[in-house]
Amino acid sequence: MQDEQINSYGVVLFQSISSALRAEKLLKKQEIAYKLIPVPRHLSSDCGICIRFHTQNESQIREVLTGKVEIQSFCLL
Amino acid sequence: MPKVVDCRGFACPQPVIETKQALEKTGKVTIIVDNPAARDNVARFGKSQAGRVTIDEKKDGIYITIEKGKQGKPRTKAPSSKIPAPGPSVVVIPSDQMGRGEEELGHILIRSFLHALTEVSARPDTMIFFNTGVKLTVKESEVLEDLQALEKNGVEILICGTCLDYFNLKEKIAVGQVSNMYTIAETLLSAGRLVTV
Repeated sequence: MQDEQINSYGVVLFQSISSALRAEKLLKKQEIAYKLIPVPRHLSSDCGICIRFHTQNESQIREVLTGKVEIQSFCLL
Repeated sequence: MPKVVDCRGFACPQPVIETKQALEKTGKVTIIVDNPAARDNVARFGKSQAGRVTIDEKKDGIYITIEKGKQGKPRTKAPSSKIPAPGPSVVVIPSDQMGRGEEELGHILIRSFLHALTEVSARPDTMIFFNTGVKLTVKESEVLEDLQALEKNGVEILICGTCLDYFNLKEKIAVGQVSNMYTIAETLLSAGRLVTV
């Protein structure tokens, strides 16, 4: 179970690609690990790409992005 | 009577998972969710299962009823992925962008594409990188993790040596093998399926 937690991911979904790009820049600046990936098939968003993160970084990412980027939702994978 | 699954208060993708499990057991389910994103995800999943989907937005929640087998056939994979190709599948990456036109968009698309390649079942046998495509194979590349995963899963990665030399990247290569134009030409011409992005 612990291993599962270490390797668990979530994604941030956005309304538009420009929001995703803005978020990417902010995360890069803060040196937070993330990965830009296509939106998983079982989810949906208005834009086709999203940012995947390790769940342990979720609160940090929320902090960095809140108020600066329009976010559709956070989803755990 | 349909089986009712109350997914109010569940974070995604839980409602979809619950829907999938319920549909495995019975042909008709009603899922109750409390937000539009969950509604869309559940409805989309229902349609992908060849279900008839009806949505009823009530005060206390959104009721989505899915009836299996009422509409068309389930979405299946493209038949081409099942027919064995007469030779190796080769994916050509001629640029560090996917498609031509808008540069910034092209960079995003190639990252998205290479990630998707690690997840789909139809893997290429060989990938060839040339021109600015070789920039994707170096240490600082944002897709390095994906390319390494593909290589680990048996995908042969050939990188144009002339191109590495041109961009002065020979020392920075971090995945695949440096190749020459003879091997690249042979690989292209003996491919059973050739895909260029």
